[in-house]
Amino acid sequence: MQQDSLWQAVLGEIELTVSRGNFVTWFKNTTLQKQEEGSIVIGVANIFIKQTLEKKYTDIIKETLEKNGVKVQQVDYRIVAGPPRTPQPEKQTDHGDQPKLSSLSSDIPSSQNVFGAPAKDVLSHGYGQGLNERYTLDNFVVGDGNELAFAACQSIAQQPGTKYNPLFLYGGVGIGKTHLIQAVGNAIATRDPKLKILYISTEQFVREFVQALRQRNTASFASYYRAADVLIVDDIQFIAGKDKMQEEFFHTFNTLHQANKQIIMSSDKPPKEITPLEARLQSRFGGGMSIDMQVPDFETRCAIIGTKAQSHGTELGHEVIEYLATNGQTNIRELEGALNQLLAWCEMRGIEPTMAIAASLLNVSKARPKHLSAKQIIERTARHFQIPMEDIVGPKRDKDIVVPRQVAMYMLRNELHLSFPKIARELGRKDHTTAIHSVDKIQKESQVDASLRNAISEIKEHLYA
Amino acid sequence: MKLQVTQENLQKALNAVARVANTRGTLPILANVLISTSNNRLSIAATNLDIAITHYIGAKVSQEGSITVPARLMQDFVSSLPSGVIELDLQETKLHVSTEQYKSVVNGIVADDFPSMPAITTGKQWTVDGALFKKGLQQVVFAASNDETRPVLTGVLFQVIDGKLYIAATDSYRLAEKQLGANSEEVRLLIPASAMQDLLRVLGDGAEKVSVTHDDQQVLFQVGDVELVTRLVEGKYPDYRKLIPASFATKAVLKRSDFVNVTKVSSLFARESAGSVTIEVGETSGELSIRSVASQLGENTATATAQVTGSGSITLNSRYLLDALNALSGESVLFGFNGKLEPTLLQDSASKDYQHIIMPLKS
Repeated sequence: MQQDSLWQAVLGEIELTVSRGNFVTWFKNTTLQKQEEGSIVIGVANIFIKQTLEKKYTDIIKETLEKNGVKVQQVDYRIVAGPPRTPQPEKQTDHGDQPKLSSLSSDIPSSQNVFGAPAKDVLSHGYGQGLNERYTLDNFVVGDGNELAFAACQSIAQQPGTKYNPLFLYGGVGIGKTHLIQAVGNAIATRDPKLKILYISTEQFVREFVQALRQRNTASFASYYRAADVLIVDDIQFIAGKDKMQEEFFHTFNTLHQANKQIIMSSDKPPKEITPLEARLQSRFGGGMSIDMQVPDFETRCAIIGTKAQSHGTELGHEVIEYLATNGQTNIRELEGALNQLLAWCEMRGIEPTMAIAASLLNVSKARPKHLSAKQIIERTARHFQIPMEDIVGPKRDKDIVVPRQVAMYMLRNELHLSFPKIARELGRKDHTTAIHSVDKIQKESQVDASLRNAISEIKEHLYA
Repeated sequence: MKLQVTQENLQKALNAVARVANTRGTLPILANVLISTSNNRLSIAATNLDIAITHYIGAKVSQEGSITVPARLMQDFVSSLPSGVIELDLQETKLHVSTEQYKSVVNGIVADDFPSMPAITTGKQWTVDGALFKKGLQQVVFAASNDETRPVLTGVLFQVIDGKLYIAATDSYRLAEKQLGANSEEVRLLIPASAMQDLLRVLGDGAEKVSVTHDDQQVLFQVGDVELVTRLVEGKYPDYRKLIPASFATKAVLKRSDFVNVTKVSSLFARESAGSVTIEVGETSGELSIRSVASQLGENTATATAQVTGSGSITLNSRYLLDALNALSGESVLFGFNGKLEPTLLQDSASKDYQHIIMPLKS
């Protein structure tokens, strides 16, 4: 039998013969350290357990071992470092003061912590985890849509906690939120390795909190998070509807914010649209700097493809890049996917990526619009805005019908690449300039209007679902 | 077991040990104190498996024996008895406690189930002056951290450097170190601060010697009739000594009581800013002034005269400052600092035996 399973079997039996208190106190965290012919060594947490086991339980241990087919003459005990100690119940009363204490002491940035360096041992294990070194500010491609976010992040990397606190980045999927917040974390870590940087996804935060609740150890959960110098939370929108969690986050947020610790959050919607979210959190999230990150424009997409290809060690021709940027998706993650596909294809065959290969590959991956018809798009758009199909193609020019109509035109142009006269015809317009104007207008407005952009992406999702 | 003991002695012993007994643990017997006779004396002991305290008192023993009884009940009961002789008589597991007026029976648990007190058979042994030790602990223990996530800092470090014993504690924002006289042994022990607080409670004011015995896992303190055993904290203590500043750009020497007063007043206005007060030292004015601002309440500036070398200003947590000033004992105190983010030092202006470092706040 394996040592571990043998000892588990022995413990299981002893648990039935001694009282619960005795078992928990004396046997619970013991381990089988060594098993040799006729003798075993048992690891215990402290001298009291050692002496008690020696004095009172050696016979039971020997007997039970024998029942499990191991005959020993000698049982030795050795004190080994146990698992991390949980605070004594006696001290738990002190925890009442602890948030106060830690909030007082966390006023001292840990760069001035007397023991910056040795702080590595226990407390800061876990800090800095979750940061992927691949994401840096240097390899983030700056364009129109993310300039402001990038500038804010740079300033934070220089002086965390001073200017933009909290920083709230929001925007659709795959436009670089995670890259940017990870990059800030990395930049701060490089500049001052002593700072405790905590990068965490909201889901992980929730999970740890639930675990802490279950172990009744919320005090140490709180003090862990409140000791951070930089707290980076990804996808904060998932906190919506979790009341207890919001309360805990609220306190953590306040403690850190008051102590001028940097807080960075990312979300797929602006603070006001995260519901249900407590008003006090909503206002706090927006209390620093909220930045709407935009879908990258053509030039930015080109730059991104160039940079990504370079990091793969491949130089792409100008026209290949432009082709990918034009025909690939606006979502960077998919753009990267297309690029990876191209690079892998070429690498496999040992050929240079060319325009022709890119075109043939992308056509394969671009196959999906083919099953879409103009009618489907118009229908879907009408349904999204909850207006009847007759109206959208009809003569009405009320505002609540005109906008959906313009969106539909925009979609037809972007998804099916129809000509303007054809678009106009599909929507019952006579003049193709109406279509030109509409597409142009939606194009521009979607840059500034988040709700319009959301509407478009939702319609798209449904179309391709 | 049958014996007679005075109420004063029994109460003193119970007060010293009963606090250690843990009523909320899983093992009921740990909420009890062990009462047993040994060599015509009575020993009262309790443990929470982290530390164990044994208190010996004189008694007139007519029959040997031992029993464990609930600590809290026994302590409360004995302390409400009038002074005089108490008779303890054990029958089966029932302890009959009687005086002239009161007679009670306390249900006990047999002593065999009580964890035995750890014996340290091999190890180093040395002594330290009791009064000095008590004073030193009082000056140092409070600076230890109570954050269990970083166990090393919950300890008090005992170490001998160049033939002198130093004790030190820090929570990484402040640090206190006290020199406790010559010691020829080579010592480096990390002892839980909570155990040292328990030890402080049993240390009398007398000038008795404290004897310390230790191996690599536990340490035993013997003071008069009391023995305290505790585990040692594992882990490497940070090399704190290189952080103690040796020279200062700004130095002020002033009366400790003045410093305490101005800090106290200032701290009233520093409540909402987490105790942050700004200290300004002016060489030309020969003054040390403390300033605090509460945006809601108002602000305050308090000034004390001081002998100053070098001007400068620094922001500290007033609570830490007060703790440090209260731990100092001399008439006048030396306060020195360098840059705005460098550690500050407080010590007695006449002696370097006690040094207290506080990290400044970022102002």
